[in-house]
Amino acid sequence: MMTEKKKRGVAVLLACSVLVFLFPFFSIQVNADTGSDEEVVLRVCNWEEYIDLGDWDKEETIDLDSGDVIGESSIIKDFEEWYYETYGIRVKVEYSTFGTNEDLYNMLTLGDTYDLVCPSEYMIMKLMTEGRLLPLSKKFFDTQDESNYYINGVSPYIRSIFESNEIEGEKWGDYAAGYMWGITGIVYNPEEVSEEEASSWKVLNSPTHRRQITIKDNVRDSYFAAVGALKSELLTSEEFVNSPDYLERLEAEMNDTSPETIDRVQEYLQDVKDNCYSFETDSGKADMITGKVVANYQWSGDAVYTMDQADEDDFTLAFAVPEESTNIYFDGWVMLKDGIREDAAKQHAAEAFINFNSRADNAIRNMYYIGYTSVISGGEDGRILEYADWCYGAEEGEEEVTDYDLGYFFSEDGEEGKYVVTAPTEQAYRQLFAQYPTKEAISRSSIMVCFDEEQTKVINQMWINVRCYNIHDIPGWVWAFLGAVILAGAGGGIRRWKGSYRGWGQ
Amino acid sequence: MKKMKFSRKILGIPYAVFLLLFVAAPLFVLLYYAFTNGEGRFTTANLTGFFSDPNTLGTLFYSFGIAVVTTGVCLLLAYPAAYILATSKLKAKSVLMMLFIIPMWINFSLRITALKEILTWMEGNLACHPFLNTVIGMSYDFLPFMILPIYTTISRLDGALLEAARDLGAGEAQAFLKVTLPLSLPGIISGVSMVFLPAMTNYVVLDMLYNSTYIMGSLIGSYFAAYNWHGGSMIALILLAVICLFTLFTSGMEEENTRGGTLL
Repeated sequence: MMTEKKKRGVAVLLACSVLVFLFPFFSIQVNADTGSDEEVVLRVCNWEEYIDLGDWDKEETIDLDSGDVIGESSIIKDFEEWYYETYGIRVKVEYSTFGTNEDLYNMLTLGDTYDLVCPSEYMIMKLMTEGRLLPLSKKFFDTQDESNYYINGVSPYIRSIFESNEIEGEKWGDYAAGYMWGITGIVYNPEEVSEEEASSWKVLNSPTHRRQITIKDNVRDSYFAAVGALKSELLTSEEFVNSPDYLERLEAEMNDTSPETIDRVQEYLQDVKDNCYSFETDSGKADMITGKVVANYQWSGDAVYTMDQADEDDFTLAFAVPEESTNIYFDGWVMLKDGIREDAAKQHAAEAFINFNSRADNAIRNMYYIGYTSVISGGEDGRILEYADWCYGAEEGEEEVTDYDLGYFFSEDGEEGKYVVTAPTEQAYRQLFAQYPTKEAISRSSIMVCFDEEQTKVINQMWINVRCYNIHDIPGWVWAFLGAVILAGAGGGIRRWKGSYRGWGQ
Repeated sequence: MKKMKFSRKILGIPYAVFLLLFVAAPLFVLLYYAFTNGEGRFTTANLTGFFSDPNTLGTLFYSFGIAVVTTGVCLLLAYPAAYILATSKLKAKSVLMMLFIIPMWINFSLRITALKEILTWMEGNLACHPFLNTVIGMSYDFLPFMILPIYTTISRLDGALLEAARDLGAGEAQAFLKVTLPLSLPGIISGVSMVFLPAMTNYVVLDMLYNSTYIMGSLIGSYFAAYNWHGGSMIALILLAVICLFTLFTSGMEEENTRGGTLL
């Protein structure tokens, strides 16, 4: 029998478990109540570790000429305060994160609702074609409004890309505001791999570095690299590079999804699989720093991080951009129709969130925290260039210096000589190069478009074919061995069934 | 006593709700997706697709291979260890046993990370032996699950049976083969099923030890990443069927050999 005490314990336990089950319902109730009257709730979904979460040490202060930048509390909290101070309306940001573009897409399809998300360009295109996005408002592009930090601060170069790229007749720029951007390239150990080797996608399959190079574990990046390697000769030929419509041709070649190309890519990647160290999403950085591998396929932001970490161990790594082509990518903010609906207050908050993140000091905080490069060049605000100089500029009295021109990114007309970082010469192929690639490297960049449904299907199948063990590869001896085992098993079974064998124990 | 029964039933409710919400309901969702296509119509194309694609079949085979080899290695390592432990007259027996269990208290990905460093130090370049590394990693990870049940069955063996065997003229080896080994079968079977099943799907070990070939777990993941929930669900369902078959098979064998309990 139960004692009183025990019974009470059980009751408490039960009550607790019931509470745990009901908790989600309660919390939804509470949100709905406060949300409708006085407070705007903004549901933001961003990449993991892709925004400054604050809590910096005092020593981490970025002391620029125009003032200090430091992240004391998170951007999200700062935004809530700033929004109230600026517009007098309380906003509550519900911030969540996703791991990959595909995860985000699945989350959206399975019924999660967000107001503002930050996918990569091809996913933005996919969402655009599916009609899920809400265009940015006219007010957002009003350069007269000082609080419109995005339109006043975005790099002219990035803006022109967002204006000139269309999908189904609509400009990216009408729906998306850039956040971070970068290119793909090779981080390498200069003692083991020459710059020349690292400057071609063919390095991924180089027989001299067998099992010493990592490649990205996702189909799009691998596809791009494989196409680059396969078409290397064409892409680097004088005739091709000097052709008047070079950029269009380059983009067409890099986005080639003809059945023959897909077949060749599959074959190539199967070779790479047997030749590379690993297909990785995250471990490549650590393996590069610990010296397990000599080169790795990397996004520029992660390349900066890798080189920074290696520097702390007095281990020098470098970054190269393949001669064939490099994939220029963007992550951008887009608003979702089924999140915002017709709620003007919500849309205003969402656009303000983009603007707040585009303010030069906040862009710097984000860049410092996550290591990627913001699309913001600052416009009138000189702090972004100051930050690049603060990070990579040469110390006074340093001997080997180079003038690193960033005119293409910072100035309206690509004017040279005005936006220059004077940096140690080695930076021209290290962090600074990864953070802000040279105009020359950018000139061979190509966007990877969003494949349509049929292409996606074929390419995904290609990727599965690469990664799976094909049943036709099973060696003959395994089949023979299996046959023998099955025969033996059957033989044993029959013997047992006939009763000539009696088990033990009963 | 009636009251007691009543309160016991109530105690079961949270678990029943849990089962319903998080085990039964997802299973129905899985079933639904496995047998429908993109338009939501009934189809068996996913099923036939699985069995006509050399890659998915190859993956099933590869996972099976890893699981079989891992289970074999675990058994070979665990049986002698468990036997020696259970039959030794050492006073510190329980301490020795703890040594086998303590690694299980450490987070598994930490252990594999440590193993990675050790293997790199031993082999030089991990990527050259993906299959071997996977088997080592999995065996390392699952070994305690094999040792424990075998240890329990052997240590519970009735010593009188062995004495009887010796009285009847059996030598050491014969007594082991005809008495100890058959009587420890239940332990072996439960150990095998506890190692075999996770070894078929635990793709984290493969990822961490740089084996780029998919096994069942990663294959399902890749289908989902490609938005193909229907195909992915079907593979998950087939895996479930394989596991059910395996469990039925082993529990059938266990029934035949019921004698002595198993701990786990």
